[in-house]
Amino acid sequence: MAARLRDRSLLAKPAPWAVRYPVRVTNHPPSLRVRRAARALALVPAVVVTSAAGAAYAAPPETWDNGPDVSTVYTLLVLGGIPLALLLLITLLVYLPSMTGRDKGYQPGQAWRGEAEWFGGPRGGLEAADAQSGPAVTDGLSTPVRGGTSGRW
Amino acid sequence: MAGGDTFDDAQRSVVDKAIRDAETMCRLEFSVFVGRSEGETRPFAERLHSTLAAPERSVLLLVDPAARLLEVVTGSQAMRVLNDSEVRLAVLTMQSAFANGDLVGGIAQGVRQLAEHARQPLGRHGT
Repeated sequence: MAARLRDRSLLAKPAPWAVRYPVRVTNHPPSLRVRRAARALALVPAVVVTSAAGAAYAAPPETWDNGPDVSTVYTLLVLGGIPLALLLLITLLVYLPSMTGRDKGYQPGQAWRGEAEWFGGPRGGLEAADAQSGPAVTDGLSTPVRGGTSGRW
Repeated sequence: MAGGDTFDDAQRSVVDKAIRDAETMCRLEFSVFVGRSEGETRPFAERLHSTLAAPERSVLLLVDPAARLLEVVTGSQAMRVLNDSEVRLAVLTMQSAFANGDLVGGIAQGVRQLAEHARQPLGRHGT
Protein backbone atom coordinates (compact mmCIF):
# COMPACT_ATOMS: atom_id res chain seq x y z
CA MET A 1 0.00 0.00 0.00
CA ALA A 2 2.66 2.43 1.06
CA ALA A 3 4.68 1.47 -1.93
CA ARG A 4 1.80 2.20 -4.25
CA LEU A 5 1.27 5.61 -2.72
CA ARG A 6 4.88 6.40 -3.14
CA ASP A 7 4.60 5.33 -6.72
CA ARG A 8 1.70 7.65 -7.35
CA SER A 9 3.47 10.59 -5.77
CA LEU A 10 6.36 9.86 -8.01
CA LEU A 11 4.10 9.80 -11.02
CA ALA A 12 2.40 13.09 -10.05
CA LYS A 13 5.67 14.86 -10.24
CA PRO A 14 6.02 15.69 -13.95
CA ALA A 15 9.25 15.47 -15.77
CA PRO A 16 10.87 18.83 -16.60
CA TRP A 17 10.40 18.34 -20.34
CA ALA A 18 6.64 17.87 -19.86
CA VAL A 19 5.99 21.44 -18.72
CA ARG A 20 4.24 23.09 -21.66
CA TYR A 21 2.00 26.07 -21.09
CA PRO A 22 -0.22 27.64 -23.74
CA VAL A 23 1.29 30.53 -25.67
CA ARG A 24 -0.95 33.11 -23.96
CA VAL A 25 0.45 32.27 -20.58
CA THR A 26 4.02 31.62 -21.30
CA ASN A 27 6.89 33.96 -20.94
CA HIS A 28 8.43 32.70 -24.15
CA PRO A 29 6.45 34.07 -27.12
CA PRO A 30 6.78 32.65 -30.61
CA SER A 31 9.37 34.12 -32.83
CA LEU A 32 9.25 37.66 -34.14
CA ARG A 33 8.51 36.62 -37.69
CA VAL A 34 5.48 34.59 -36.69
CA ARG A 35 4.08 37.45 -34.63
CA ARG A 36 4.50 39.97 -37.45
CA ALA A 37 2.82 37.66 -39.88
CA ALA A 38 -0.13 37.18 -37.54
CA ARG A 39 -0.49 40.91 -37.04
CA ALA A 40 -0.46 41.60 -40.77
CA LEU A 41 -2.99 38.89 -41.38
CA ALA A 42 -5.33 40.33 -38.80
CA LEU A 43 -5.14 43.80 -40.32
CA VAL A 44 -5.61 42.82 -43.96
CA PRO A 45 -9.42 42.41 -43.91
CA ALA A 46 -9.94 45.82 -42.34
CA VAL A 47 -7.69 47.52 -44.87
CA VAL A 48 -9.30 45.69 -47.78
CA VAL A 49 -12.84 46.48 -46.69
CA THR A 50 -12.26 50.15 -46.09
CA SER A 51 -10.33 50.73 -49.30
CA ALA A 52 -12.69 48.71 -51.47
CA ALA A 53 -15.71 50.85 -50.66
CA GLY A 54 -15.85 53.64 -53.16
CA ALA A 55 -17.43 56.97 -52.50
CA ALA A 56 -21.13 57.07 -53.14
CA TYR A 57 -21.87 59.37 -56.01
CA ALA A 58 -25.41 60.63 -56.32
CA ALA A 59 -27.09 63.53 -57.93
CA PRO A 60 -30.60 64.76 -57.23
CA PRO A 61 -33.06 63.24 -59.65
CA GLU A 62 -33.65 65.20 -62.82
CA THR A 63 -37.36 65.33 -62.14
CA TRP A 64 -36.95 67.34 -58.97
CA ASP A 65 -37.79 70.99 -59.23
CA ASN A 66 -35.13 73.47 -58.44
CA GLY A 67 -36.81 76.07 -56.31
CA PRO A 68 -36.62 79.72 -57.24
CA ASP A 69 -33.36 81.42 -56.38
CA VAL A 70 -33.42 83.11 -53.00
CA SER A 71 -31.42 86.21 -52.30
CA THR A 72 -29.00 86.36 -49.39
CA VAL A 73 -30.88 89.19 -47.73
CA TYR A 74 -34.10 87.22 -47.78
CA THR A 75 -32.38 84.18 -46.29
CA LEU A 76 -30.87 86.25 -43.52
CA LEU A 77 -34.22 87.83 -42.86
CA VAL A 78 -35.95 84.49 -42.52
CA LEU A 79 -33.27 82.70 -40.55
CA GLY A 80 -32.17 85.60 -38.40
CA GLY A 81 -34.92 88.18 -38.40
CA ILE A 82 -37.82 85.97 -37.42
CA PRO A 83 -36.09 84.41 -34.37
CA LEU A 84 -34.92 87.85 -33.32
CA ALA A 85 -38.42 89.25 -33.63
CA LEU A 86 -39.80 86.38 -31.60
CA LEU A 87 -37.15 86.95 -28.95
CA LEU A 88 -38.06 90.60 -28.67
CA LEU A 89 -41.77 89.83 -28.57
CA ILE A 90 -41.44 87.26 -25.81
CA THR A 91 -39.15 89.51 -23.78
CA LEU A 92 -41.64 92.32 -24.11
CA LEU A 93 -44.51 90.09 -23.05
CA VAL A 94 -42.55 88.96 -19.99
CA TYR A 95 -41.57 92.41 -18.82
CA LEU A 96 -44.74 94.26 -19.74
CA PRO A 97 -46.76 93.41 -16.60
CA SER A 98 -44.06 94.61 -14.23
CA MET A 99 -43.46 97.76 -16.29
CA THR A 100 -47.07 98.84 -16.39
CA GLY A 101 -48.28 97.36 -13.11
CA ARG A 102 -48.63 100.05 -10.49
CA ASP A 103 -49.67 97.66 -7.75
CA LYS A 104 -46.83 97.89 -5.31
CA GLY A 105 -48.54 95.99 -2.55
CA TYR A 106 -49.08 97.19 0.94
CA GLN A 107 -46.70 99.98 1.83
CA PRO A 108 -45.65 100.58 5.42
CA GLY A 109 -47.50 103.35 7.13
CA GLN A 110 -50.52 103.20 4.90
CA ALA A 111 -53.93 102.53 6.27
CA TRP A 112 -55.26 99.10 5.44
CA ARG A 113 -58.10 99.92 3.11
CA GLY A 114 -58.44 96.70 1.23
CA GLU A 115 -60.26 93.50 1.87
CA ALA A 116 -59.11 91.35 4.72
CA GLU A 117 -56.62 88.67 3.79
CA TRP A 118 -56.85 85.32 5.46
CA PHE A 119 -54.03 82.90 4.93
CA GLY A 120 -54.85 79.32 5.80
CA GLY A 121 -58.42 80.22 6.61
CA PRO A 122 -61.48 78.24 5.61
CA ARG A 123 -62.57 78.22 2.02
CA GLY A 124 -64.88 81.12 1.34
CA GLY A 125 -63.13 83.42 3.79
CA LEU A 126 -64.83 85.62 6.33
CA GLU A 127 -68.38 85.28 5.00
CA ALA A 128 -68.26 81.51 5.13
CA ALA A 129 -66.84 81.72 8.62
CA ASP A 130 -69.67 83.99 9.70
CA ALA A 131 -72.24 81.66 8.22
CA GLN A 132 -70.69 78.66 9.85
CA SER A 133 -69.81 80.04 13.25
CA GLY A 134 -72.18 79.73 16.12
CA PRO A 135 -73.39 76.91 18.27
CA ALA A 136 -72.49 74.24 15.71
CA VAL A 137 -68.82 74.64 16.41
CA THR A 138 -68.96 74.51 20.17
CA ASP A 139 -71.64 71.85 20.40
CA GLY A 140 -70.76 69.01 22.73
CA LEU A 141 -67.89 70.90 24.24
CA SER A 142 -67.92 73.13 27.18
CA THR A 143 -66.12 76.38 26.47
CA PRO A 144 -63.13 75.37 24.37
CA VAL A 145 -59.77 75.89 25.98
CA ARG A 146 -57.66 78.38 24.11
CA GLY A 147 -54.41 80.10 24.69
CA GLY A 148 -52.66 83.01 23.16
CA THR A 149 -51.91 86.59 23.78
CA SER A 150 -52.43 89.96 22.27
CA GLY A 151 -50.41 93.04 21.62
CA ARG A 152 -50.44 96.42 20.00
CA TRP A 153 -47.84 98.53 18.34
CA MET B 1 -54.59 104.95 -6.85
CA ALA B 2 -55.23 101.30 -7.48
CA GLY B 3 -52.51 99.49 -5.60
CA GLY B 4 -51.06 99.71 -2.15
CA ASP B 5 -54.14 98.79 -0.19
CA THR B 6 -53.56 95.09 0.18
CA PHE B 7 -50.74 92.67 -0.35
CA ASP B 8 -49.42 92.05 -3.82
CA ASP B 9 -48.52 88.61 -5.07
CA ALA B 10 -44.94 88.75 -3.86
CA GLN B 11 -45.99 89.73 -0.36
CA ARG B 12 -48.67 87.06 -0.34
CA SER B 13 -46.18 84.43 -1.36
CA VAL B 14 -43.84 85.46 1.46
CA VAL B 15 -46.59 84.92 4.01
CA ASP B 16 -47.69 81.69 2.34
CA LYS B 17 -44.18 80.35 2.39
CA ALA B 18 -43.71 81.27 6.04
CA ILE B 19 -46.91 79.40 6.93
CA ARG B 20 -45.94 76.38 4.89
CA ASP B 21 -42.46 76.27 6.41
CA ALA B 22 -43.93 76.59 9.89
CA GLU B 23 -46.39 73.79 9.30
CA THR B 24 -43.66 71.48 8.12
CA MET B 25 -41.48 72.43 11.08
CA CYS B 26 -43.98 71.65 13.80
CA ARG B 27 -47.19 69.71 13.77
CA LEU B 28 -49.53 72.66 14.15
CA GLU B 29 -51.56 74.46 11.55
CA PHE B 30 -51.10 78.16 11.09
CA SER B 31 -53.53 80.73 9.85
CA VAL B 32 -52.92 84.44 9.42
CA PHE B 33 -55.70 86.96 9.20
CA VAL B 34 -54.79 90.45 8.12
CA GLY B 35 -57.58 92.99 8.15
CA ARG B 36 -59.97 94.95 10.22
CA SER B 37 -61.36 93.09 13.16
CA GLU B 38 -65.07 93.40 13.69
CA GLY B 39 -65.94 94.46 17.18
CA GLU B 40 -63.76 93.36 20.04
CA THR B 41 -60.49 91.93 18.83
CA ARG B 42 -60.14 88.95 21.13
CA PRO B 43 -63.64 87.49 20.62
CA PHE B 44 -63.34 88.12 16.91
CA ALA B 45 -60.00 86.30 16.79
CA GLU B 46 -61.44 83.41 18.77
CA ARG B 47 -64.37 83.24 16.41
CA LEU B 48 -62.04 83.08 13.45
CA HIS B 49 -60.01 80.44 15.23
CA SER B 50 -63.04 78.29 15.89
CA THR B 51 -63.96 78.24 12.20
CA LEU B 52 -60.66 76.72 11.18
CA ALA B 53 -60.51 73.14 10.01
CA ALA B 54 -58.86 71.79 13.15
CA PRO B 55 -59.06 74.47 15.83
CA GLU B 56 -57.50 72.36 18.58
CA ARG B 57 -54.16 72.16 16.84
CA SER B 58 -54.29 75.48 15.03
CA VAL B 59 -52.65 78.79 15.71
CA LEU B 60 -54.38 81.89 14.48
CA LEU B 61 -52.63 85.19 14.03
CA LEU B 62 -54.81 88.24 13.72
CA VAL B 63 -53.13 91.40 12.51
CA ASP B 64 -55.15 94.57 12.27
CA PRO B 65 -52.89 97.12 10.58
CA ALA B 66 -55.44 99.90 10.88
CA ALA B 67 -55.97 99.54 14.61
CA ARG B 68 -52.37 98.38 15.12
CA LEU B 69 -53.59 95.34 16.98
CA LEU B 70 -52.17 91.88 17.13
CA GLU B 71 -53.80 88.77 18.47
CA VAL B 72 -52.62 85.18 18.68
CA VAL B 73 -55.04 82.36 19.47
CA THR B 74 -53.81 78.85 20.11
CA GLY B 75 -55.98 75.76 20.29
CA SER B 76 -56.09 73.34 23.19
CA GLN B 77 -53.59 70.91 21.64
CA ALA B 78 -51.43 73.70 20.36
CA MET B 79 -51.22 75.15 23.86
CA ARG B 80 -49.39 72.08 25.05
CA VAL B 81 -46.43 72.69 22.77
CA LEU B 82 -46.73 76.43 22.60
CA ASN B 83 -47.37 78.09 25.92
CA ASP B 84 -48.41 81.69 26.31
CA SER B 85 -45.01 83.00 27.31
CA GLU B 86 -43.55 81.58 24.11
CA VAL B 87 -46.36 83.19 22.18
CA ARG B 88 -45.58 86.46 23.91
CA LEU B 89 -41.98 86.31 22.69
CA ALA B 90 -43.16 85.90 19.11
CA VAL B 91 -45.63 88.71 19.60
CA LEU B 92 -42.80 90.95 20.78
CA THR B 93 -40.84 90.11 17.64
CA MET B 94 -43.80 90.95 15.48
CA GLN B 95 -44.55 94.13 17.36
CA SER B 96 -41.08 95.47 16.82
CA ALA B 97 -41.17 94.56 13.15
CA PHE B 98 -44.60 96.12 12.68
CA ALA B 99 -43.48 99.25 14.50
CA ASN B 100 -40.73 99.53 11.89
CA GLY B 101 -43.37 99.30 9.20
CA ASP B 102 -42.45 95.80 8.07
CA LEU B 103 -45.81 94.10 8.03
CA VAL B 104 -44.98 91.18 5.78
CA GLY B 105 -41.58 90.52 7.29
CA GLY B 106 -43.02 90.73 10.78
CA ILE B 107 -45.70 88.17 10.01
CA ALA B 108 -43.16 85.82 8.46
CA GLN B 109 -40.79 86.20 11.42
CA GLY B 110 -43.56 85.74 13.94
CA VAL B 111 -44.91 82.61 12.29
CA ARG B 112 -41.43 81.16 12.07
CA GLN B 113 -40.73 81.93 15.70
CA LEU B 114 -43.99 80.36 16.84
CA ALA B 115 -43.15 77.23 14.86
CA GLU B 116 -39.67 77.08 16.35
CA HIS B 117 -41.10 77.24 19.84
CA ALA B 118 -43.71 74.61 19.03
CA ARG B 119 -41.21 72.32 17.43
CA GLN B 120 -40.75 69.13 19.38
CA PRO B 121 -38.44 66.28 18.64
CA LEU B 122 -40.42 63.33 17.41
CA GLY B 123 -40.86 60.55 19.89
CA ARG B 124 -38.90 57.41 19.30
CA HIS B 125 -42.00 55.60 18.14
CA GLY B 126 -43.62 58.55 16.48
CA THR B 127 -45.62 59.52 19.55
